[in-house]
Amino acid sequence: MYPEPTNLWERIEYSSLGTTIAESAWMFPTIEVVHVIALMTVIGTIAIVDLRLIGVASKGHRVSLLAKDTLPWTWGAFALAAVSGGLLFVSKAHSYMINPWFLGKMALMALAGLNMLYFHMTTWRTAEHWELDPSFPPAAKLAGWLSLIFWVVIVFCGRAIGYTLGIYY
Amino acid sequence: MGDFLFEMSQWLYTTPLNEFAQRVSESALSEWILSWFWTIPVMQTFHILSIAATLAAILMLNLRVFGLAGHATLGETAERYTRVFWWALVIVIVSGVSMLFGDTVRNLLNSVFWIKMVLVIGGILLALGYANVLKRQTLMAGGGVAAGGTKVAGIFLIILWCVIILAGRWIAYAPS
Repeated sequence: MYPEPTNLWERIEYSSLGTTIAESAWMFPTIEVVHVIALMTVIGTIAIVDLRLIGVASKGHRVSLLAKDTLPWTWGAFALAAVSGGLLFVSKAHSYMINPWFLGKMALMALAGLNMLYFHMTTWRTAEHWELDPSFPPAAKLAGWLSLIFWVVIVFCGRAIGYTLGIYY
Repeated sequence: MGDFLFEMSQWLYTTPLNEFAQRVSESALSEWILSWFWTIPVMQTFHILSIAATLAAILMLNLRVFGLAGHATLGETAERYTRVFWWALVIVIVSGVSMLFGDTVRNLLNSVFWIKMVLVIGGILLALGYANVLKRQTLMAGGGVAAGGTKVAGIFLIILWCVIILAGRWIAYAPS
C-alpha cells in the first residue's frame, strides 16, 4: 500500500499509471529505451542543422534544405520523447521534482525551445539572403552554438538524474 | 528470456573472465575513473552523443536511399554521412571502452553486455557492407536510385542500431 499523497507530485506518483510503471519489471526500462532513441534522434537531427549554422559541417549545402529534411524527424522524435519522458516522470514524479538535475534538464529544454523560437522568428526569416554566403551572420552562429550547448548539457543532466535520484529528500 | 540471461551471467562468473574483470577493476585506471563521481556520467554523455550521431547518419542516409530527403546524389550523401558514422563510431568505441574501466565487473560479467557486443560487431560489418554497396550502385547508376536489397539493408541497419541502444540500456537492468 502507498501512503496518502501529501502533494500533487505524490498524487501523480501514486496514481494507477504511476504505480503500474514503477512496479513492473520491464515497463520502466522499455519506456526508457524509447525515450533514449527518441532523444538521440532529436539531438542527432538538430545537430545536423546546428553544425551547418556554425560552419563546421555540410558547408556546401543550403541550411534551409537541411532543415526541411531534418525538421519533421526532429519534431516527430521530440513528440515521442515527450510522451515517453512523461510516462517515466509519472512513475517517480515526487523524486524527479526534488532533483535539481531534473529541474535543470527541464529548464535547459525550455531555453533550447526559446532559442529555436527566437531564431525562427528573427534570423531564419532572412535565411534566403545569407544561406549562400561563405559565412553566416553572427545571430545564426550564436543560435547554432547555443542549441548545441543546451542539448549536450541536457544529455548530461539526463544521465546525472540516474545517478542522483535517491539522494535528495 | 530472463532465466536465460540470468543463467548466462552466472556462467560468465565461472569463466576466467571473472578473475580478469576483478583484476581490471582494481587497476590504477579504474580507481582513477572511480575517484571522481562524475567521470562515468561524463563518459556516458559522450557515448550517448556519439551514438546519436551514428543514428542520425544512418537515418539521413536511409532517407536519401528511399528518396524521402536529401538534395545531393546518392554517392555524395553516402560519402558525407558514412564519414560522420565512422568518426562517431570511433568516439562510441573510445567512450565505451573507457566506461568499461569504470564498471568492469558489472559489464564483463553481464549477459546483455556480450549480446550488445555481438550486435555492435554485426552492426559495424553491416554498415561497412551498406556503404560499399551504396558507392558501387552510385558508380553504376550514375548517382540515382538505390536497389531494393539496399533499401532492405538500410531498414535492417537502423533497426539493428535501435536494438543495440536497447541492449545498452538493459545492461543496467539485466538479471545477474
